[in-house]
Amino acid sequence: MQTKILLDEEQIPKKWYNVQADLPTPLDPPLHPATHKPVGPDDLKTIFPMDLIRQEVTTDRYVDIPEEVRDVLRLWRPSPLYRAYRLEKFLKTPAKIYYKWEGVSPAGSHKTNTSIPQAYYNMKAGIERLATETGAGQWGSALAFATMLYDLECTIYMVRSSYTQKPYRKSMMHVWGAECIPSPSTKTNSGRAVLEKDPETPGALGIAISEAVEDAATHANTNYALGSVLNHVCLHQTVIGLECREQLAMVDDYPDVVIGCVGGGSNFAGISFPFAGDKLTGKHKDTDIIGAEPASCPTLTKGLYTYDFGDVAGLTPLLKMFTLGHDFVPPSMHAGGLRYHGDSPIVSRLVHDGVMRAVAYHQSEVFEAAQTFARTEGLIVAPETSHAVKSAIDEALVCKQTGEDKTILFNCSGHGNFDMTAYDAFYSGELVDYEYPDELIRQAIGRIPKIS
Amino acid sequence: MRRIGFLINPVAGMGGSVGLKGTDGNADEARRRGALPGAQDRAATTLRHLSASPDLCFVTCSGEMGESVLHKSGITSYRVAYSFQGNSTAEDTKRAVSAFLQEGVELILFCGGDGTARDVFEVTQRTVPILGIPAGVKMYSAVFALDPVTAAALVSGPFGIRDAEVMDVDEEAYRKGVLSTHLFGIARIPARAHMTQVAKQVFEEADEERAKEEIARFIEEVMLQGVLYIVGAGTTTDAIAGRLGIKKTLLGVDAIKDGGIVAFDADEKILLDLATRYPETRIIISPIGAQGFILGRGNQQISAAVVRKAGLRNLIVVATPHKLRETPLLYVDSGDPVLDREFGESIQVISGYRIAQRRKIVRSP
Repeated sequence: MQTKILLDEEQIPKKWYNVQADLPTPLDPPLHPATHKPVGPDDLKTIFPMDLIRQEVTTDRYVDIPEEVRDVLRLWRPSPLYRAYRLEKFLKTPAKIYYKWEGVSPAGSHKTNTSIPQAYYNMKAGIERLATETGAGQWGSALAFATMLYDLECTIYMVRSSYTQKPYRKSMMHVWGAECIPSPSTKTNSGRAVLEKDPETPGALGIAISEAVEDAATHANTNYALGSVLNHVCLHQTVIGLECREQLAMVDDYPDVVIGCVGGGSNFAGISFPFAGDKLTGKHKDTDIIGAEPASCPTLTKGLYTYDFGDVAGLTPLLKMFTLGHDFVPPSMHAGGLRYHGDSPIVSRLVHDGVMRAVAYHQSEVFEAAQTFARTEGLIVAPETSHAVKSAIDEALVCKQTGEDKTILFNCSGHGNFDMTAYDAFYSGELVDYEYPDELIRQAIGRIPKIS
Repeated sequence: MRRIGFLINPVAGMGGSVGLKGTDGNADEARRRGALPGAQDRAATTLRHLSASPDLCFVTCSGEMGESVLHKSGITSYRVAYSFQGNSTAEDTKRAVSAFLQEGVELILFCGGDGTARDVFEVTQRTVPILGIPAGVKMYSAVFALDPVTAAALVSGPFGIRDAEVMDVDEEAYRKGVLSTHLFGIARIPARAHMTQVAKQVFEEADEERAKEEIARFIEEVMLQGVLYIVGAGTTTDAIAGRLGIKKTLLGVDAIKDGGIVAFDADEKILLDLATRYPETRIIISPIGAQGFILGRGNQQISAAVVRKAGLRNLIVVATPHKLRETPLLYVDSGDPVLDREFGESIQVISGYRIAQRRKIVRSP
């Protein structure tokens, strides 16, 4: 019984996989927020380095991972793939459950897989400072770690409710030398505008993005970095799925079901795109690929597939994606990293085309699942990750009913060591099961302000 | 010094132990049946927890309506503003409250049941917050603290203010086994600031008025042309009407269509008539009272027949996060057990702008 399936450091992927190469038709292009014309590289140059812009639009199937980046990834990659024997036994399921443990990175989540290359390409382009936003703090701490390695300054706009709720994430950013500001802040026009309208707002990723983009656009030495959603971010995360495919091959297996939690979509993209590629190219046509999202911010299950801004202020290009509307401020649930109105355009497209599907869960049921996971496998996972755990357990329980011995793979994207107040709230019965009143909204859709 | 009005209804709760289902106008009968007054003990528990608060000065009534319990609890900082003769009555409660208001109290703490709450509120209206130490037979009103100790914590600590319904229960009917409740008024009560909760809730729950506005903003956004909206009682639904520029009946049920009033303070017959006449009807209601009744208390105009006519799926329940936190379970008691069952195990409650909560439902308690 092999519990951990490990690769050698040399087996860290040398290329990222780009699922855009295998889409039957190209992605709809991002549109300029003012002209509504497709954006070109020049439009993005003020906030991104050219290498990342190229990665954003390339349709090459593989993109080389620079050796300097692989050298840093060696600190924690390849990450282990676990067979969840204890969970399987507890559930009495014939299914085989595997999880990819991304909590082994210095910042404790998958986010470092993209923060390292992003900081690297910016350093190479002569940029001195990066501005970014963070929801729960996982991305902020990951970028703080990466910018420190490449000697860049880093300013992080952290969603206000998380800033108060997760003080230790903020402390991590300080250890790695970054500046962390609660958002909305008075430092930017977009932040001031939100505060003027609503001084008590808990903040949202969409607002923090506006602030970071504005910061980058108004400082010549500063670029912007985004921790999810964009194509190049999803590209960097594919190391997860590529490693998984190798690791499963070592035990002569291939997943029937692939699961990740979805906020902006990057960790889900990371684990699933290589398998989605196999599906699109007909190598494994029947893989069931599932994104698990919160019922309070159910972008993929209840959103519209349309062009929308990536941020609240409308500064970013318009992206064709599933969206709940860029002005939607999701309730302050504990999975702060999943509080995003939109989704990765590639993930959206794949869900829209039926290559992937999505499910939505309430807070208390995902914590219930996380507790089961902690009490069987030992790991205390982040509230975001708990959504994937819940979905994996649900799928395994379906197998128990049908008697199928499916292979279920999920991305265990990060640890919950800084989320213990959320677990406390679960145990004291204070978790609120927020949900999105989609039926009322759908009936009145004509009266809701046009999205694009 | 903070001046706190304090009174006890000495006979509160007596009717309960001897099967009288309430003590209003029945104290003598309760005594004859051997009932013992328990309100004094309940009030004493609260006062013991307040005896160490040096900044409080009580304004109270003579004898068993206040002074004797204060004295026994070791509290010396008080003055008697109202004296009564013989057995105390509802009139004494009202006169005492008037005297407290003249003394400029910032809060009135009373010990009693629904009847006492109604008498206190009748005088204060919304001028000062009130808080009940629960000691009555029936406590359908939402102005009571959970227990005497919680009452002390609310009085002594810094507190915010929230709305709470005062219910009027017909005792005559109640004794005959018929529960007939009306929404008598909406009082202001002290509410914990909940600063000790996980920080995220501090933002959301800082201000109940803000939450009402967020709910109203959302409901306005999803209201449809040509649809009749039956809008229940209370301040949350009032905020919705306010947003539409409509003056609604605070304690009654109105019907609204295309931004205008169709029926004002309507009874069941009118509502049934309207729901029959208009092809599409929706009902917007907020849970009422301490137990959080969606149907069956204080808004009986919205009867089972009215709900059936509109269709259960056209029932829109709204409530602030503050109210929902205080009411872990919601109740339905429409008088039609089949309809009550159709509610299922849980219901969606709109609690903010495009935000809802999934809440558990209990049927006919």
